[in-house]
Amino acid sequence: MKTELKGGKAFSYIDIQLEPGEQIMTESDAMSSMDAALELKAEFNGGLFKGLLRKFLGGESLFLSRFSNPTSTPKNLIITQGTPGEIRCIELDNETFYFQPGAFIACEETVTLGLKWAGFVSWIAREGMFKLSVTGHGKVWFGAYGALIDKEIDGEYIVDTSHLVSYGPDIQLKLQLAGGLFSSFFGGEGLVTRLEGKGKVVLQTRSLSGLASWLNPKL
Amino acid sequence: MNIEFLHAPANTVAKVSLKPGEICTAEAGAMMAMSGNTQITTTTYKKSGRGILKGLKRMLAGESFFVNHFEAKNKEAELWLGAAISGDMMQYQLDNESLIVQGSSFLACEHQVEIDLGWQGFKSLLSGESIFWLNLKGSGKVIINAFGAIYPIEVDGEYIVDSGHIVAFNESLNFSITKAGSSWIQSILGGEGLVCKFNGQGTVWCQSHNPSSFGNHLTPELKPIKK
Repeated sequence: MKTELKGGKAFSYIDIQLEPGEQIMTESDAMSSMDAALELKAEFNGGLFKGLLRKFLGGESLFLSRFSNPTSTPKNLIITQGTPGEIRCIELDNETFYFQPGAFIACEETVTLGLKWAGFVSWIAREGMFKLSVTGHGKVWFGAYGALIDKEIDGEYIVDTSHLVSYGPDIQLKLQLAGGLFSSFFGGEGLVTRLEGKGKVVLQTRSLSGLASWLNPKL
Repeated sequence: MNIEFLHAPANTVAKVSLKPGEICTAEAGAMMAMSGNTQITTTTYKKSGRGILKGLKRMLAGESFFVNHFEAKNKEAELWLGAAISGDMMQYQLDNESLIVQGSSFLACEHQVEIDLGWQGFKSLLSGESIFWLNLKGSGKVIINAFGAIYPIEVDGEYIVDSGHIVAFNESLNFSITKAGSSWIQSILGGEGLVCKFNGQGTVWCQSHNPSSFGNHLTPELKPIKK
């Protein structure tokens, strides 16, 4: 499988060449264009029950798409995300990463998608009661609204909830007020997420809820 | 008419240089700035012919399409054109041929290019989508804008494009509305639903992002409009 990220950081999309017999799993509705000979199969996002949980409580889609190449020549597939922004590829080597709702775009078939209880705290922060995990070996593509920033943390770190995209397995999430009562509600930060642990955190430089709250008074 | 693109791909703007007497036809609302000697006339899609009545008829049919004609009077003029959404632009040189352009992707063209709104290709089948199509005919330059990056696909055989990602295509291509993959159920469950299958030889230009997908992400965050 040859893959290339194109479109720069503002409008990333994934240009994929599927070799005969190869497969790729993508988020529902992620296909922009493809060779007509490719096969598309919709699958429950981790089984029917988990799929339903994920849709209604985790803010993810019920189905994933499996694209495969049943022909004998390489075929082209273009995958994108709903929001304009950066897409990144990580190669898992028997590791786990957690994604916030909507961040996952695609993965190789050797990667296992799972669902982990994220807690009521995450639900209150409107980030879903479950979190999506990716485990195993292989490439995973994820994206965000805006650009992506990597941050290695060791100890405590505070992130505005709507800007969190992904984090490592040894990091715990807690919800708290940004400052005192006054600065939390008048300073525009409200609730923030306190990350505790050691590992990598990925942030997005813009947030859809930020755009919406800027737009709302103008509508 | 000379076209230069600046600040591509995120905040692309088209700088159009007009020689005296040259006219550039642009989508209503696209003009950002222009020289003082530029004269504007507004019509429904074509300066000559087609009366107001036909324009009104189109308006009633939900196909209102006003264009502005910018003419450089006496000396050279420059015209800056921008699009409402962020994304890339491209120019295409029509050479006695037809280019089908998605309505919201049309930005401007040289005056002699004929803009035909009557193209019904996808209409009956994609009535759910608020997309209309323009058929640009003749010879001359055309400016097209997109939501996101633009990538051309040289179709030779069969190729599928999600309907929200089509920017423009050569009229030489045949198309049909169909499913992605071999099964209707899988295509619908996979979130792709109806897609457009092109076949033959020619180019289809696609945009990297789908305006309706972005809308679906953003809408739940927006407040209902106050009435």
